[in-house]
Amino acid sequence: MAQPLEKVDRRDAKLALAHLFVAFAALALGGFAGLLQTLVRSGKFELPAGISYYTILTTHGVLLGLVLTTFFIIGFQFAAVSRTTGALSDGSRRLGWIGFWMMTSGTACTAFFILTGQASVLYTFYAPLQAHAGFYIGLALVVVGSWVSGFAMFAHYARWRKTHRGQVSPLLAFMSVTNMVLWLVCSLGVAATVVFQLIPWSLGLTDRVNVLLSRTLFWYFGHPLVYFWLLPAYMVWYAVIPKVIGGKMFSDSLARLAFILFLLFSIPVGFHHQLLEPGISPFWKYVQVVLTFMVIIPSLMTAFAMFATFESYGRSQGATGLFGWLRKLPWSDARFFAPFVGMLFFIPAGTGGIINASHQLNQVVHNTIWVTGHFHLTVATTVVLTFFGASYWLIPHLTGRVMTKAMNRLAIIQTIVWAVGMTFMSGSMHFAGLLGAPRRSAFSTYSNSPQALEWIPYQIAQAVGGTILFIGIILILVIVINLAFFAPKGETEFPVAEAAAPYERAALALENWKLWIGLVVALILIAYTVPIIDIIQNAPPGSKGYKLW
Amino acid sequence: MAKLITAARQTKQEKEPALKGTLASVFLLGFFVIFSWVSVYFLFLHRL
Ligand code: HEM
Ligand SMILES: [Cu+2]
Repeated sequence: MAQPLEKVDRRDAKLALAHLFVAFAALALGGFAGLLQTLVRSGKFELPAGISYYTILTTHGVLLGLVLTTFFIIGFQFAAVSRTTGALSDGSRRLGWIGFWMMTSGTACTAFFILTGQASVLYTFYAPLQAHAGFYIGLALVVVGSWVSGFAMFAHYARWRKTHRGQVSPLLAFMSVTNMVLWLVCSLGVAATVVFQLIPWSLGLTDRVNVLLSRTLFWYFGHPLVYFWLLPAYMVWYAVIPKVIGGKMFSDSLARLAFILFLLFSIPVGFHHQLLEPGISPFWKYVQVVLTFMVIIPSLMTAFAMFATFESYGRSQGATGLFGWLRKLPWSDARFFAPFVGMLFFIPAGTGGIINASHQLNQVVHNTIWVTGHFHLTVATTVVLTFFGASYWLIPHLTGRVMTKAMNRLAIIQTIVWAVGMTFMSGSMHFAGLLGAPRRSAFSTYSNSPQALEWIPYQIAQAVGGTILFIGIILILVIVINLAFFAPKGETEFPVAEAAAPYERAALALENWKLWIGLVVALILIAYTVPIIDIIQNAPPGSKGYKLW
Repeated sequence: MAKLITAARQTKQEKEPALKGTLASVFLLGFFVIFSWVSVYFLFLHRL
């Protein structure tokens, strides 16, 4: 199957690039907000002109947690689907553009109300904090736009399957579809609370809102959301990195099985974010914690597969000894190095997740800055560094350019800067959190309480880390702009790995979508039906809205 | 037929790489998870 460079269709490349540009614009603005947050929290700096800390924090959370991720992922997946299953049909591509413009106008609408100080409700927009209706309407547009793009991918995949009966679909297409199924099923929850609860309430059509119901619907979405971020990084790890290092994928079927397990077990688990919430029975929290722990299985499968890929490659190059294979890896290639550092950071990140999800330990860390430290390892390091690493070949591939040696060196430096900055920032967040420092709080000494004074050195360390990270943001923007507009013209490969063994029949069974979606629905019904009925039937009087900023 | 199968098995066995480093790595990872979890658990007990 050795072919000349297989390319993403030029028209599809434009669609993918449009998404990537919005993503990196969000990174620029959101990263600046992040820098300001760490400076404020150090106690040495105050925001000018009466700007609220919470306005900045909402900007940061929405732009980086919601906009950067969703746009990058959809752009990347359009490219991946087009590369592995052929150019999109005109209809699918048109849907993709409709989705893009819905998401972009929704983002602009939401951003307007945040930046004008009418929506400082943070990216989780918990009721009874009440934003301007335009904030929720913009978010609804983003979600519906992403569905339109999802349907474009489903239609393309269905067409491929029809013309390739009895064949196993290409791994990247299979994974993209899995991730969009996950996204569609989970974002129904957030759409429900936004459309049926929060929009009418913020427009004054209803007076009061069922707070617990809206939080429950949010977290029904919020946990799978983090897997929607993570799975594209895993796509790169499983299906691209083996090719980048010059080796083969350890097992195609293992990768597919892991994705199906993520699909099954990342949705019916939202209560692990609500462990300390009254009004949900401990039994159902327990059920969802058990389901949460099931996710450890595909996570450890992934860790095993990565080590095995690297070791197999290293040994094929003559490595000896227990860890000699490490030396054979292409350390000076940023396409490998950035995602690899992301993988390393996932070890403490995943460990922190297991701690958060354990009910007793959750009481130690709940709503402390430990949690912020945790997801700056997961999404802001593992996922983001993998996306950066993917950009180093994806952007030049799409723009018909090549990455120069100098840019590759800068990308290695960028990765190191990010790792060092994040070690400072996230590390001190973890320790301050264990000492009880709250998240989502501007600087305060809490009337000089001794406990709060203990946190200050850690907050200064966070600002040091944040400043280093901001340098990392500048570096990645320089690289991205270079790759998009200034790098020399040429051909760059979109690397897609081959499996070490030929396709196994098991892979076909893993494409039985009726079965998997049926199981997904069944698990959701088991985990949520009774508690949601309880939350609606036994609700206290609803709450009116508050604007506390 | 039987010959074919053994031949297939043999080539498969030849390709099966020795993954001792992977085994060691996943063990190290597991120990790190357990160590961290237990540390926070003791913090929890200590603060009860
Ligand atoms: C320059 C790099 C960054 C810095 C300095 C930074 C800093 C911070 C700080 C200090 C907070 C918490 C403040 C608080 O709880 O009071 C925060 C929250 C957050 N960050 Fe970052 N961050 C950076 C990059 C990122 C990236 C790349 C992402 C996502 C991909 C991200 C996602 C988030 C999210 C979702 C929150 C939660 C906001 C909330 O609690 O409402 N950050 N960040
Ligand atoms: Cu979660």
